[in-house]
Formats: sequence, structure tokens, C-alpha cells
Amino acid sequence: MPKPLSSSQIFLQGLWNDNPVLRQILGICSTLAVTNLLVNTLVMNAGLIFTVCMSSLTVSILRNFTPMRIRMMAQTIIIASYVIIVDIAIGAYLPDISEALGPYVGLIITNCIVMGRCEAFARNHRPWPSFVDGLAMSLGYSAVLLIIAVIREPLGFGTLFGYRIMPEGFTPWTIMIMAPGAFFTLGLFVWFLRAKFPQTAEEKKQGL
Amino acid sequence: MKKRLYSIVFMFVLTFCFAAVVSAVKVYNEERMETNRQVKLQKIILQVLSVPVGDKATNREVLQTFERRVKTIEVKKQTLHVGYSEDGRSITGYAFPVGGAGFWGPVYGMLSVDPEASKIVGIAFYRHSETPGLGARITEPWFTKQFKGLPLFPMEGDKKIFYLKPAGPGKGPNELDAITGATGTSRAVEAFVNRDLDRFLRETWKLVKKG
Repeated sequence: MPKPLSSSQIFLQGLWNDNPVLRQILGICSTLAVTNLLVNTLVMNAGLIFTVCMSSLTVSILRNFTPMRIRMMAQTIIIASYVIIVDIAIGAYLPDISEALGPYVGLIITNCIVMGRCEAFARNHRPWPSFVDGLAMSLGYSAVLLIIAVIREPLGFGTLFGYRIMPEGFTPWTIMIMAPGAFFTLGLFVWFLRAKFPQTAEEKKQGL
Repeated sequence: MKKRLYSIVFMFVLTFCFAAVVSAVKVYNEERMETNRQVKLQKIILQVLSVPVGDKATNREVLQTFERRVKTIEVKKQTLHVGYSEDGRSITGYAFPVGGAGFWGPVYGMLSVDPEASKIVGIAFYRHSETPGLGARITEPWFTKQFKGLPLFPMEGDKKIFYLKPAGPGKGPNELDAITGATGTSRAVEAFVNRDLDRFLRETWKLVKKG
């Protein structure tokens, strides 16, 4: 049994040292898909935070009863159930956003971060630390998505939260609306942060 | 053997519990989701029939306005929403669904014509999966407004009721601006709206005229 981590250590891991998007390059699919409008990004983040926290908690509670061989199957059904609940909730209470997000809410099921945390952390830690880990990791993911969306929405639509912020004559950058725009933004962002704050020996050697 | 049986029982119980919870949530929200769907469609129908509904209108207001101003009938399997004037005496237009394959997925829209079926009153697209900022601009007013007043006639040969051409001064009233950067979506819209309009004029309209 590894030495138990304190909550603040777990938070530091999720938000910075082991940030799922920046350091582990996980959850890229949704990062590319939903970050062209801030409102959509926020709803997506809320959905993911709920799913990761609840799945980690559930997997952790059941960790001593779950047979090793079928643990992935069990995790999948747990994750899928929470995601469907999120999908129904958004469809019932935020119909417009549900429309805009289309299939991406359902695709949280396949977001590597969710099952990644169940496998890597929740299945051999106690419930509370697992919940905190899920929260920290999904907040780390959300933070990166929000930053990307704050860059993409003004350049692609000329707006921020739907309010016009760019000058009248500004020509929107169509590429920023599409997935390639997210590729460039994310790539530059990850490169910048890793070069500025290197963690591995190799990153230190290369620098900015 | 015992282990294997335990795995099966475990999975069964787990699935059962989670399926029960998900079903309960679904059943609990079903009515609300159904109302959302219905109100959304009614709002679109009212909009294309040029019946004013506020953006902030509550679900109940929309349902009431719809009840008062619109009657839905079936004509040879084609759903037709008949719009009535404020006093309910005269018909202001007919709305019917249009739709087809877009660039990424199906596009659903609603179109309305005046009581003589001589021109378009309004069009709106309400469900699609086109690219935001490009094909998804088919829902924007500048695009849908162009259709207003478009003269209608049954298609003959290759001649279409309207064309979507690159933005610029059109040659006639039936040349509308396509969406720059969304050629695929524009072509698809041109194709299925023309097709559905033609079908309406040829089949449904004749029956409506007869009564």
C-alpha cells in the first residue's frame, strides 16, 4: 500500500504536476471538440467533473468486492450510467446547450481521464482520497479547456461568452472554430508550459 | 467455479442497480424533455408562420399561442401546420417540415408558404450537426431572411425554384447567397429544400386546394 497522499498533494498533482491534458495528454478529443464556445466548455466541464468524481468514488467504494478480472467491465457500466444521467439532466434543463454539444456529452464515457483515474487511483485508494483525486484531475482538465476556449472564442467568433469583444472590423479566423484551430492552440500551449516549467530531464535540456 | 459464479452475480447486481437508477432519472425527466421538444418545434412553426413570439416566452405562453394560432392537419402523410390570423378567421400560411442530408448529418427545418402557395413566408432550421460558425450559420437570420418572398412554381426540367450562389449581387430573385466556407452545407440545403418544395407544390398543395 503506497503512503497515503494528503488532499492538498492530490490537488497539486491533478491541477499541475500530473495535469491530465498538459502532462498526460489525455482527453484531447473533447478538448478539440467543445472549446470553440465558452458556454459549451463550461457545461462540458461540469459534466466531466461530476462523472469523474462520482465514478472514482463508486469504484473506490466497490474496490474490495469487485473481482479483478471483470473490473474494467464494472467500471464501464458505472461510468456509462453517470454519463447518461448527465446527458438526461442537460437535455431536460438546458435544452439549447444540449443541442449545441450534440454527441459530446455521451462521449464523456470514452474520455480517457475517467477510466484512467478509476484504474490508476480509485481502485486501490479509499473513497475520500479517490473523490478528491477525481475532483483535482477534472478541475485540471477544466482549467486547460477554459484557457483554450478563452483563446478560441474571441478569435473564431469575435465574442466572449457570446458578448462581442472584438472591434467591429475584425474578421473571424474560421480555422479557430474548427478542430485544427484547437490543435494549434493546444499544441502551442502545451509546448509553452512544458518549456517554461520543465519537469523531466529532457524537457529541462531543451528549454524554450 | 465459485469465483466465476461470483463474478457473474456481481456484474448482474451492479448492472441491475445502475440500470434502475438511470431508468428512474429518465422517467422522472421524461415529461420535461418531451415538453422541451414540443415547445421548441412549436416555436419554430410560429416563427416561420411569422407569428410573433418573444425570445423569453415561457413554455406555457408558447403552448397557448400555438393552440390559438395553429392547426395541425395531415394531408396524405404530409404534416401541415395551418396558421390562422389573430381573430382566427383567415388562413395566413401553411408550414411543413423540410429536411435531408446535410454535410455532416441530417438537417431538419420548417418552411411556410402564403395561403396561395405563391411565395415563401419563412424558413428555419432547428436540428442539424453542421460545423459551428460555418454550416451551422443556416440558422442565422441573414441566411433564412433571404428566402422570404421567394416566388414559387413547380420545377420543370433542371430549373430549380431557387439557387444558392456565392455571395454577391444575384441575377434574379431566385439567386440567394450561399454560406462562404460551407459549400457542402449550402449545396445540401439547396437540394433538399428545392426537392421538398417541389413535392409540396405537386402533391400536397393540389389536395389542399381541393379542400
